Amino acid sequence: MRHAVRLLVLAFVGLIVLPAGSATATTTHLAQADDRPVVRVGTEGVYPPFSFHDAKTNKLTGFDIDVIKAVAKKAGWKLTFVETTFDGIFTALDAKRIDVIANQVTRNPEREAKYGLGTTYTYSRGVIVVKKGTTGIKTLADIKKRSDDDDPVTAAESVTTSWADVARKAGAKIKAVDGFSEAAALVVRGDADLLINDNIAALDYLNTTGKDDIEIAGDAGDEVSEQVLAFRKDDPRLEESNKALAELKADGTLAKISEKYFKTDVTVENSGDVDVSGGRAARSDTEVAKDAAWPMLKKLLIATIPITIISFAFGLMVAVAAALARISGSRVLSAIAKAYISIIRGTPLLVQLFIVFYGLPEIGIKLSPWTSAILALSLNVGGYAAEVVRAAILSVPRGQFEAASTVGMGYWQSLRRIVFPQAARIAVPPLSNTAISLLKDTSLLAVVTVTELTQEARFAAANSGAYLVLYGVAAVYYWVVCVGMSAVQGRLETRLNRFVAR
Amino acid sequence: MTDIPQITNDMGDLRVRARGLQKSFGDNHVLHGIDLDVAAGTTSVLIGPSGSGKTTILRSLNVLERPDSGTIRIDDVEVDFATLPDKGGSARQQIAALRAQSGMVFQAHNLFPHKTVIQNVIEGPVQVQKRPLEQAVDEAKALLDQVGLSDKADQYPFQLSGGQQQRVGIARALALKPRVMLFDEPTSALDPELVGEVLSVIKELAAEGWTTVLVTHEIRFAEHVADQVLFLDEGVVVERGPSAQVIGDPREERTQQFLKRILDPA
Ligand SMILES: Nc1ncnc2c1ncn2[C@@H]1O[C@H](COP(=O)(O)OP(=O)(O)OP(=O)(O)O)[C@@H](O)[C@H]1O
Ligand SMILES: [Mg+2]
Repeated sequence: MRHAVRLLVLAFVGLIVLPAGSATATTTHLAQADDRPVVRVGTEGVYPPFSFHDAKTNKLTGFDIDVIKAVAKKAGWKLTFVETTFDGIFTALDAKRIDVIANQVTRNPEREAKYGLGTTYTYSRGVIVVKKGTTGIKTLADIKKRSDDDDPVTAAESVTTSWADVARKAGAKIKAVDGFSEAAALVVRGDADLLINDNIAALDYLNTTGKDDIEIAGDAGDEVSEQVLAFRKDDPRLEESNKALAELKADGTLAKISEKYFKTDVTVENSGDVDVSGGRAARSDTEVAKDAAWPMLKKLLIATIPITIISFAFGLMVAVAAALARISGSRVLSAIAKAYISIIRGTPLLVQLFIVFYGLPEIGIKLSPWTSAILALSLNVGGYAAEVVRAAILSVPRGQFEAASTVGMGYWQSLRRIVFPQAARIAVPPLSNTAISLLKDTSLLAVVTVTELTQEARFAAANSGAYLVLYGVAAVYYWVVCVGMSAVQGRLETRLNRFVAR
Repeated sequence: MTDIPQITNDMGDLRVRARGLQKSFGDNHVLHGIDLDVAAGTTSVLIGPSGSGKTTILRSLNVLERPDSGTIRIDDVEVDFATLPDKGGSARQQIAALRAQSGMVFQAHNLFPHKTVIQNVIEGPVQVQKRPLEQAVDEAKALLDQVGLSDKADQYPFQLSGGQQQRVGIARALALKPRVMLFDEPTSALDPELVGEVLSVIKELAAEGWTTVLVTHEIRFAEHVADQVLFLDEGVVVERGPSAQVIGDPREERTQQFLKRILDPA
């Protein structure tokens, strides 16, 4: 018991110190910087060669990243990057979690109406990518015809992208994915007939993954599409950004960035053919695993595990509070606790995460990604553990409360010294299950832009397409931690069972 | 035990004084105005049929049960339950003060299973009375010695026999240095061969001058140890007096029937 209390205290301290710690980190960072305004950039981080993590250094990089950095330098901004799926990216912009999207946002009338779109910094065209050997799908007209024949093709797309619109208009059915490499994987699996995307992204994917089971079948129309930075409407930084882009164009910086990635200048219309072959070379699965193993382990240690521990500690406190409220005899408290438990257990964690991260800002409560993650997970754990704790408390005989009263203890002291230690014995096995589930639930945290182990694996996969080894490594990491947790559970049980007749 | 304080208050030598205790559980009116006087250093025994309210009286003295009305005074602490607020700090304080005056020994011992014998005994003194640990441990050892368990100090309750467990329960109550000891059928959950060891501890305490209120069905023991016997039936004290009178020569018909039933059941 004393251990449990100590753990809770540690967790509390941790939660207070951690953000403070990171705040100090940023301050020291700022110390040499100054007071430049901070601009938060939303980007996928899984869309090479525009926005991805370098396989060796694991740093966020890419064409769009270089462009926004150049813009920031001219405009005098300080950047922080927020990585999220493309389908979450405009929501994040609306929710003011980010200020600008640098992720090959294609200009279209709907976006023009709703957002502040900057001047074009990429001209590209769409291509249709199919599984190797597919015949009869070369143009948008082919797709249209299949649809007219009542046999529509399936296109794997992030549903909110302009490429999804192109596919939809051509009559394809959309299969929703989270990013380019997942889309490519679906085409290879045969779960989608094709994907439509930027020719640069497609060429880069073929080049870096070394995959030869998909190919570019043809152009998706002859329209050239324009990619822009997207701000909220009326954001004054839009003008600053346009001015910076014009200067970058004039001084040749933009052309230089483009040459670096594509051997041609895609920042002007009618550039030459894109050549990404000089970019990142294809790596073997072993190399991919080796490159990703450390970054993934790091995320396990600095995100997955701390978030699990902190959320569990808070969740346990919430659970104890809810359990006590349930058995308090106060009808109001009991009803509140009951409603809370019912709501938490009756709704998916993913929905709870969306509500905390994207929903609460609409009523003025904006929490950082980490805080959102910990809040949602703690409440979730609290809801599940409350009934466990309640049952455990009720399993302690009434006579124990009475004996505690008789020696003079009050309510809280009785709970702490007499009831909880005995209840712990009953609660440890089911609570261990809760903790283990929690560890694995942290794999959902990409939706609140927290980069933990699974998200790190996604980054690496986007760069390589090596799903089996990367997710295999992730699985091993999770499993090892779970084995460790089970060992702790075993020791706790032995300790708590020492006062029981066997 | 040499440190039994002598009474010097306005109660004369009365250690416990209860007046007009009323208690209902829902529609079940259990106590119908109980009066109880216990002189300091004496032993009072409550006898009576099952359901007559003996346990409820004892639990009321320790305020594990709250009488609906009536007053209880133990030593210099008095609580009037008719005017005691339902809840709140003042009520809690008064209850705690009265409760601290008595030490309770349960029929089912209710030892703390997760604490060793000595930890059970020092729990109240250290955690509640905030006495220094060393002093509490020394006193606990002396108490364990007194109840014949000095070699069991570091065992867990589950490692003890029923009689030993009950004796730890007695030591735990004694450690609080209460003004009166309350025993609720301390032997009725025990195997017959274990009854004696517990009764002899109680007898010793009585001989040492502890003020004791005891509920028991061991009539022969009661007769022997009691200074005063109260016969209860249906929530009223039917007959009270010296044990020689109430047990040896009961006046009330109900008492006679009860004793006959219990002394030669056939
Ligand atoms: N917590 C309670 N809730 C409801 N009724 C109770 C409660 N405690 C006692 N009673 C009732 O009060 C009456 C007196 O009970 P009490 O335990 O005081 O009797 P007793 O004389 O100690 O009997 P026994 O010899 O069986 O122990 C009984 O009718 C019992 O059912
Ligand atoms: Mg009883």
